[in-house]
Amino acid sequence: MIALTNIVSQSFTPADLPGAVRAALGKPLRRAAPLTQLTLVGALACLPAEQRHRPTAILWQSTSGPRLETLALLDEVCSHAAEPMPYDFLATQPAIAPAQIQSFLPGLQSAMHLPLDSEGVSQWSMLLSLAAIWLEEGRYEQVLCAQLDHWSDAATGHWLALSRTPLENSLASLRLSNDACASQLPDTPDFPARLADWLAHRDSATLALHPPVAMKQALEFARL
Amino acid sequence: MTRPVFIADTSLLCARGSSPTAVADAMWNGECTAGRRKIGERTFPYFALPLDETDWMARAEQAICQVAGQLGAIGPKTPLFIASSSFQIGHFEQGGAPFDLPPATASFSRRIAEWMNLSGARTSFSNACTSGFSALDAARTLIAAGLIDDAIVLGIELANDSTLAGFASMELLSRTIGRPFDALRDGLVLGEAIAAVRLTASPATWRLAGLSTGLDGHSTTGPNPDGSRIAEVMAGCMHDANLQPDDIELIKLQAAGSPGTDLAEANALRSVFGQHMPPLISLKPALGHTLGASGLAELAALLACLDADKIPATAGFSKVDPEIALFPMVERSTEHIERAQLNLIGFGGGLASLIVERQR
Repeated sequence: MIALTNIVSQSFTPADLPGAVRAALGKPLRRAAPLTQLTLVGALACLPAEQRHRPTAILWQSTSGPRLETLALLDEVCSHAAEPMPYDFLATQPAIAPAQIQSFLPGLQSAMHLPLDSEGVSQWSMLLSLAAIWLEEGRYEQVLCAQLDHWSDAATGHWLALSRTPLENSLASLRLSNDACASQLPDTPDFPARLADWLAHRDSATLALHPPVAMKQALEFARL
Repeated sequence: MTRPVFIADTSLLCARGSSPTAVADAMWNGECTAGRRKIGERTFPYFALPLDETDWMARAEQAICQVAGQLGAIGPKTPLFIASSSFQIGHFEQGGAPFDLPPATASFSRRIAEWMNLSGARTSFSNACTSGFSALDAARTLIAAGLIDDAIVLGIELANDSTLAGFASMELLSRTIGRPFDALRDGLVLGEAIAAVRLTASPATWRLAGLSTGLDGHSTTGPNPDGSRIAEVMAGCMHDANLQPDDIELIKLQAAGSPGTDLAEANALRSVFGQHMPPLISLKPALGHTLGASGLAELAALLACLDADKIPATAGFSKVDPEIALFPMVERSTEHIERAQLNLIGFGGGLASLIVERQR
């Protein structure tokens, strides 16, 4: 049985983000772009130390991507017609974020980044479907699904942690289901917060995440 | 529910030609010339698409429509999986400051879908050089589980200065040619490509038999030189395909001529295959390293070669590196291949390996 083990929502001002990293690690994370810092503080918040060696994947989506860093790179390359500083280019590469935190999350085996193509929509149903299938197959022991955004005024991370087997204090079970479910939520960026709200209010036994497009099964959370 | 996933169709536009068979023919004939692209004070070899259009967005539309046109009729609701590492950054460069970046980083994917007349599910992937196999992994997973029945997986990497300048700034580029596994290799040669693969649950000639991904956090620009993580991913791919090393008849290397990454891949190959090394081939000296499109472009090109039983020689290799002590095929072959494994080793730590198996 796949278990939802944690829901984490974080929000920082850009100025506060490095401090959050220091608080999580006990030291600064050098040469790390904001998306890397968000990945680190979120993943460590989701997984207590004793779980960080379990085979893990991170599947994450982002609307902003490395927007500010891309603007800085474009300015360097186009306005100054020069080769950028290496770090400035690296900061525009979201794929390096999981690799940079692997030493703090030794079980991290793979990562997948889904940049979003529209504001106000999300791919939670895609991330959670892949996570559910891969956990069921035994490909990983735990999967972290996230939406990470870094704007000029805020850095936010919303996380759902899933485990192949229930852990102490698991919040709900997750399965792919053909059955119609009375309660449904749309696939929006605030889905983790709405899922947490559903868990806090005992109004239905199950909750479905309604995918924006036709998949033949829906994701169904059930209270434990 | 788990069911096999097949490759029903492929399409490709790259420096070597405007269809998979044209590209396969060009590689068979040894074509590997590249143009040049200037960045700052330096000029680098570059594999550009054979298109004359100069407006970035119009050129992208032309290229996408060519690739879409190579595929057979596509249902308008077919799910679309798009892989890229740079999306439309070249368009913003051409527009100049102030740069008009839309709020959603992959907004270009909406245009791609419109140009392909696809109005169904649309998902974008950006994992540097492994983006294409990430997208294939997701599509294959959903088809195998019965959530969808087919998918178009498209890789796109189009010319831009930002990527070239970034790689140049880290001294990752060759000033001459890509020399995979060669003693004189000195870096990558970048290029453009658009490629698409149609995956389906319906039987077809090639089955996507195995796919595994991994992560190597050794460095942001290259894997651990011992190749241990790459070996794990390759072995995981064989496990996924229920195959043994002896079953693999050909390996399409990542090898692009990078001093560190080529060595790591060679060490991984030795670890997995020992003394029974299959024939090795690199397509990058002919196509360039097309980054987020490379997985799909090289898959489409390789399948066209295998369909014709014409495996091209690897260009750019002339001198064995004693530290690598492996060499890609330098003679053409007409061997009939049933199973091939394809490696991707990404900038930023991403790893992926895929096995295709011919159906009888």
